[in-house]
Amino acid sequence: MNEMRMTGFSSDPSAQEPLISVRDLHVRFTTPKGPVHAVRGVSFDLGRERLGIVGESGSGKSQTGRALLRLTAGNGSIDASKMEFDGLDLMKASEKKMRSIRGSRISMIMQDPKYSLNPVLTVGAQIAESCRRHEDISKADAKKRALAMLDTVRIREPEKVYNLYPHQVSGGMGQRIMIAMMLITNPQVMIADEPTSALDVTVQMQVLALLDDMVRERGMGLVLISHDLQLVSSFCDRVLVMYGGRIMETLDAKNLDQAQHPYTKGLLNCLPRLNGRHDDLPVLKRDPAWLTEGGDAEGGLA
Amino acid sequence: MMIDIKDLNIVFGSGHNQIHAVRDVNLEVAEGESYGLVGESGSGKSTILRAMVGINAHWTGSIRVDGQLLTPKRTVASRKHMQMVFQDPYGSLHPRRTVDDTLKEPLIIHNLDDRDDRIVRILKEVGLGPEFRFRYPHQLSGGQRQRVAIARALILEPRVILLDEPTSALDVSVQAEILNLLSALRKTHGLTYIMVSHDLAVVGHLCSKIAVMNRGVVIEEMTEEQMRTGEVAHDYTRQLWTASHGYDRTALKSFKEFA
Repeated sequence: MNEMRMTGFSSDPSAQEPLISVRDLHVRFTTPKGPVHAVRGVSFDLGRERLGIVGESGSGKSQTGRALLRLTAGNGSIDASKMEFDGLDLMKASEKKMRSIRGSRISMIMQDPKYSLNPVLTVGAQIAESCRRHEDISKADAKKRALAMLDTVRIREPEKVYNLYPHQVSGGMGQRIMIAMMLITNPQVMIADEPTSALDVTVQMQVLALLDDMVRERGMGLVLISHDLQLVSSFCDRVLVMYGGRIMETLDAKNLDQAQHPYTKGLLNCLPRLNGRHDDLPVLKRDPAWLTEGGDAEGGLA
Repeated sequence: MMIDIKDLNIVFGSGHNQIHAVRDVNLEVAEGESYGLVGESGSGKSTILRAMVGINAHWTGSIRVDGQLLTPKRTVASRKHMQMVFQDPYGSLHPRRTVDDTLKEPLIIHNLDDRDDRIVRILKEVGLGPEFRFRYPHQLSGGQRQRVAIARALILEPRVILLDEPTSALDVSVQAEILNLLSALRKTHGLTYIMVSHDLAVVGHLCSKIAVMNRGVVIEEMTEEQMRTGEVAHDYTRQLWTASHGYDRTALKSFKEFA
């Protein structure tokens, strides 16, 4: 299996078969106040690369990430002309098949470790559980793997941390534990939904460096969902900018300053900068046409 | 000096669980100045604001505002001059009170008249139309709620406003609007600000002087020039400054923990 995962791996992301391929993805919710169309025709490919999805609240970025794992809430429906992962049709896969994929071949890191860790289990037990759930290994082996994983995510004294409960660890450490839990199954794709927004800037860098290593060393595909345009562009290879459930623009991260779409430009301009100017910040003017224009629907294609 | 803090110490708990949250902090802020406090979580920056505004009475040292020495126990009149805007506009407004009720409460407490006039005027000043006056918080967006919170602080016509991460719960486009509003209000009313944030760029935008805090200690005061160039004296400040410029693998290697 591992060999198969590594075939076609090269440093040039565009030369490979995409890990995930999405065409015309729609996510709709029925609510007491009427239908909500959260994601409107999103298409993109993910290779063994760092792909960023950036947008403000309500842009549909998180729902796009959740739809990949079919984790959309009960009142929602997913619709896509194509949603494939490694040759497997995610739209048609059975619930049982999805369970074997989630956490094992595609993992997801949530925003806040405080709410995503089980408060009554030690963190070590939770990491070992994630390993035992997907692989047939003994308890002792799972513990060994969990300790090794804690070491990989740069936690000092893994033996001691293994026996701590979630409330006894700091935010940064909690997020590293979440990452350890998600990486222990050696997934091919990691979806990280605001993995660092609850963390201090310096800790944020360390957590991102960990994810960076996983992409470089294991050939993992990473989807980083964030509201922070500056952070995403300095970390990722490619950036999708979303607004109102659509992809406004796809950019090579290093060419962010050449953004064409007025929304991306507006977002960039309204960021305060460290240059000590106190002039008024340009305010983003939203154009209703962005919500309807055919625009860059295919923009996510590499 | 509008604000003059000397040897401020704040200690929580006792014995084994004692946490010295703020150690020997000295701050001076001139009238009309906008002063920033940055630091990572747990550095004690919000704790200083909470002691100043009187939410936390357990502190030692001296805090002078406009020459008046503040005691841990406050009078109603002394509270009028200093108001605070909190981080989370979703949590700081009462969900079952209309905007009108929220703005009227400080006027009742401080026994001010012309209540209708004041409310309409203040809403206009923070960029909300009169149609917002009788709405509930759930009918407002995050940016509109933060405008109401700013209006509530401003309606008493204070001299000093303490801002505790006023934009960190907002989207960047809304953040820009609120930052513009805050700097316009400071100019028109001659307000003095102390703003706390973990985001160096936000503080750098609004403030002309920044104190950098780590583990309860002010380690350095930065000027505008230093914010531009990053030529700072302390390693911790440099690390924070570098980290605020986005992901940089090479810079990360030199990062360390400061105890």
